[in-house]
Amino acid sequence: MALISLEQVSVAYDNRFILEDFNLQIEKGKLLSLLGPSGCGKTTTLRLIAGFLNAEQGKFMFGGKDYTNVPVNKRNFGFVFQSYALFPHMSVYDNVAFGLRLRKMKEAEVKQRVTRMLEIVSLGGFEKRLPKALSGGQRQRVAIARALVIEPDLLLFDEPLSNLDANLRVNMRVEIRRIQQELGITTVYVSHDQEECFSISDQVAVMNSGKIEQLAHPTTIFKYPASEYVARFIGFGNFIAFESRSDAGEDIELSRGALKFLAAKRPNGAGNLGMLGAIRPDDLQLWPSTQEAPLSGNTLSGRVQVSTYLGRSYQYEVETELGVFTVNQEMDVPFAQGEQVTIYFPKDKLVLVQ
Amino acid sequence: MNKRYLYLLLLPGFLFLAAFMLIPIILTIVSTFMPDGSLTLEGYMTFFRDGYFNKILLTTLRVSVVTTLVCVVLGYPAAYYISRAGIRKKSILLALSIFPLLTSPVVRSFSWMIILGKKGLLNTFLMNIGLIQKPLEILYTPVAMMVGLVHLFLPLIIITLLGVMENLDYELVRAARSLGASSFTAFRKIIFPLTVPGLIIGSILVFVGSLTAYTTPALLGGKERVVATFLYQNAMTLNDWQAASVIAVIMIVITFVVVGLMNAWANRLNPKG
Repeated sequence: MALISLEQVSVAYDNRFILEDFNLQIEKGKLLSLLGPSGCGKTTTLRLIAGFLNAEQGKFMFGGKDYTNVPVNKRNFGFVFQSYALFPHMSVYDNVAFGLRLRKMKEAEVKQRVTRMLEIVSLGGFEKRLPKALSGGQRQRVAIARALVIEPDLLLFDEPLSNLDANLRVNMRVEIRRIQQELGITTVYVSHDQEECFSISDQVAVMNSGKIEQLAHPTTIFKYPASEYVARFIGFGNFIAFESRSDAGEDIELSRGALKFLAAKRPNGAGNLGMLGAIRPDDLQLWPSTQEAPLSGNTLSGRVQVSTYLGRSYQYEVETELGVFTVNQEMDVPFAQGEQVTIYFPKDKLVLVQ
Repeated sequence: MNKRYLYLLLLPGFLFLAAFMLIPIILTIVSTFMPDGSLTLEGYMTFFRDGYFNKILLTTLRVSVVTTLVCVVLGYPAAYYISRAGIRKKSILLALSIFPLLTSPVVRSFSWMIILGKKGLLNTFLMNIGLIQKPLEILYTPVAMMVGLVHLFLPLIIITLLGVMENLDYELVRAARSLGASSFTAFRKIIFPLTVPGLIIGSILVFVGSLTAYTTPALLGGKERVVATFLYQNAMTLNDWQAASVIAVIMIVITFVVVGLMNAWANRLNPKG
């Protein structure tokens, strides 16, 4: 049974619905990410779970109990804020001890727990510092320690890494995942960064204007986006609207005018419902049209319009009869502008979305 | 503009203040120690030995302290409410709270006379409902001064506190709540400590303002004197400029001591240093 369950929840601001008839279940011990652009309702969902917001309608069940009207301070959920929200007038020690002292814990035990938690986040020796004397990464770790030390029943992260620089972000997300798995604590994580979400989550929910477009394991979403929206959001830059589809054994045969394409069926047979083909720029391959393609079928001829250097690869905008395709390809000698090329669409990389 | 000449921007204002404030104050201070060319503390000794002056000084300090406390008690909740209000409500409430500052102290004091006088609105009302048999003596007492001064300075403390409260990151309150604090505990442990520096600054403004206020105590205090009205009396009625100077210096010293102490306290509490 799910530990957390949002049932037909609606939230509105100024008479505009942010969430409407929203449903979400999370299993115990899992880390679920809410991924989407700003304004998609992911932060609203998180704040609703935390109890900072009230739903107009619907129910929030936690561990089989109705938590809809339980006030924030009675929920025992840890929340890590984007701005860290450390108490500026308190030392690192007092920040972390805050929740324990409110629980009327003996000072000796407070000390023991705070000290242990600061070790876990590698901040031993920083007890007396004020937040202003810490770096961004250190502040973030204090914020995590403060949320974890109360042994919360649920841990909530609101874009916790967006104020850190790139290297630190990678280190911190590994750290967050390690702590989360070590303590086996159910976690909801909000971010607009897909790499961040994919790297640490058991499940990712891609959100769009108050709805979950797809909820699945990160690899499933990465390979098989369920909708055009998800495909675009996670980097499928090229689309072909097909006119008809038919079953062809292992594959699905697609056509548009005189052009025929094959797309491999998904392994579990799920999905592959739509008529819109999607493929990543990295998965397309280019050949000079003077050279015969080593594979027949699933090709399209075109002309290089723009070529830009990305460092590891070159990016081309290729003009074809079906519009412009973006292709990333590693090569020593790039295609020249205006050169005639053949684009190859590997059938196992071409996915169909609705 | 070349940075070397940037100080030119400061110069006109500085020269004005130096010529018409700094130099006169220094001359005043010097004159109190050397009334006739030789160094003496006699001017001050006379005052502090004088029971009448000590009583006035005490009244002044008492009125200022009580005015400050009342302003804090009334202003803090009001400022907090305004800081948490929506943008439209906020601008209306802010305009209303600043409004007293826009009227002349003379006009304001005369309205208080009408309200607080022996046959004033307040006494008439209280007698009509039978709460009192004979009129209360409020006008021309220190109480009347305090009422007038609170009216005058309440906007000041509200504006000062509002500045601090609007900069308060409300996420801190949510953080405290998520860690188990009730609304009241979150206020006590987070909001209040973080607004104390603003409270101190506001209190300094009110206290110093009350200490040096002239018009309001003069009109509402009647025969009751405060240091500022006493100074005026010495200078303009008794023509004793020496005594007036000594009073002025005593006021300056008290002001500096209070501001210094409270600033030090505020700095010690300010987490942002």
